[in-house]
Amino acid sequence: MEPLRNYADQEVSEQVKVTGEPQRKTKVRKRRSWIAGLLLLIPILLFVFGFFIVPMLYILYLSFISTDNLNGADAVYSLQNYITLFTDSYYLSSMWLTVKISLYSVLVSLILGYPIALTMAKSSPKIRGYITLLIASPLLVSIVVRNFGWYLLLLPNGTINQFLMNIGLIKKPLNLLFSELGVVIGLSNAYLPFMVLAIATSLYNIDPSLEKAGAILGASPMRSFLTITLPLSLPGIVSGCVLVFSLSMSAYVTPSLMGGANVPMMPVVIYDQINTLLKWTFGSALSYVLLGITLLSVFFFTRAFEKSKFREVFR
Amino acid sequence: MKALGKLRLVLAVLGIIYILIPLIAVVPASFTSANYPSFPPKGFSLQWYTKILERQEFVEAFFNSLQFACLAAFFAVLFGTLGALAIAKYDIPGKHYVTSILTAPLSVPQLVLGIALLIYFTPMMLAGTSTGFLIAHTIICIPYVIRLVLTGLSGFDYNLEKAAAILGANPFIVFWKVTLPLIRPAMISGGLFAFLTSFDNVTVSLFMISPNMRTLPIEIFSTMQDAYNPIVASVSSVVIFISVILIVVLEKIHGVGKVFGGTQH
Repeated sequence: MEPLRNYADQEVSEQVKVTGEPQRKTKVRKRRSWIAGLLLLIPILLFVFGFFIVPMLYILYLSFISTDNLNGADAVYSLQNYITLFTDSYYLSSMWLTVKISLYSVLVSLILGYPIALTMAKSSPKIRGYITLLIASPLLVSIVVRNFGWYLLLLPNGTINQFLMNIGLIKKPLNLLFSELGVVIGLSNAYLPFMVLAIATSLYNIDPSLEKAGAILGASPMRSFLTITLPLSLPGIVSGCVLVFSLSMSAYVTPSLMGGANVPMMPVVIYDQINTLLKWTFGSALSYVLLGITLLSVFFFTRAFEKSKFREVFR
Repeated sequence: MKALGKLRLVLAVLGIIYILIPLIAVVPASFTSANYPSFPPKGFSLQWYTKILERQEFVEAFFNSLQFACLAAFFAVLFGTLGALAIAKYDIPGKHYVTSILTAPLSVPQLVLGIALLIYFTPMMLAGTSTGFLIAHTIICIPYVIRLVLTGLSGFDYNLEKAAAILGANPFIVFWKVTLPLIRPAMISGGLFAFLTSFDNVTVSLFMISPNMRTLPIEIFSTMQDAYNPIVASVSSVVIFISVILIVVLEKIHGVGKVFGGTQH
């Protein structure tokens, strides 16, 4: 962040005013001014420190304590929580399921989101504004409401099954809800707007004359899309994918409503450990493993793209 | 060329419908006259709206949500505006890190944040209290306010403050008459956004509620887990209605897209 105050200009006026010792006076004034700033910052810093940083560090500390009793009588410092996590097949398969479903929802939102972003980039600013409003507004409606909408559509006697049975495509209702498919639908629906906005931002920055030049040189629209637009929008694709992936990895409400017990993704497992089984230290370890897996995947994904042949796109 | 453009347009329209369809389905379903919600609805009646009033827990939860969302937005705007002013205006050492710390609650999963606060609050006797609930919601609202007010301040002309000071206004008058009116739009959109963030929240709230203090999204969540009740459709429609009003206001002041444009992790 650039300092927004124009100090040079201020110093000149100081010097004009007090011709005696301009240098020292300015220094004192500068220091006083950041002390005033610090005073304004103290309430929020203390608040965020006390109710965010400290609790986060506290559960990190707790995750290294293992205990079998709820009262913690046999509590000892150990790595037992993490060892259990990475050796028990239940937790391992839950981790894999979480990553798999998140990848699917990234894929679905990429496929559905790119055409929207492309259309936004090719439209007039007015249309662009309307589309932005349409796709961003659902983000401001509670996720439970959006999931309930999917209930209406996906239940065995819901809209989609009724429709498919009426036209005679299927005999028995499909299991759309309480399945992995249901969770992928719910997550991709919830986070698709982020994907669209990320891709659209990078598409806006493409110089339109590049495509014109391609057309003049005889490239077909398809070819100019594949060789100009798509590679140049890659940073947007990557940041959209990263965003949707990390949001999907840690979503709790959608997996528990649209998947239920059939789809034990990590957040659902963690919630059970904490709120149902009251295994706080183990739940803390699980939380940090979820955070770690998400951060590592994002790191390697971004690195892989930066190292690929599209490196120049990333500056 | 034409064919490709048309294909793109069709795919885009399908994508937008995919985003909106769950919300489009809810509102008509709430007017059903049947005993189960369905889209398209069967018949027309307002019975599921009058039934909300008979279910005391929904009414109470609604007022709880409203109250907490207002308070959380108020505190987030109060702390956040002061913090953003300090970051934008003063030459504080390490201000880049300060901004990262203040917006960090956004990049930690809400599930993990809820767990951390529950475990931390329990020995402090704050778990399940309204104070604990308010603190948790203020924490999740602060990053948005910081971002919005910082964006609002990025085009701020500090010469205006200087001019007022030269003309003899004391610092409080300068703040009240010059700074505040200029950053008011950013504060209002930050507040509205914080209100909606708190009003809609489920994940953090799940760890902060107690049997006698619940919020509307939590009631919807638990009703959906227990039974497939049409009352959820009418309650959800009320939530959609409130959200739409605030979205319209937010769009007029700031632009909904811009709010999320700045919400990059």
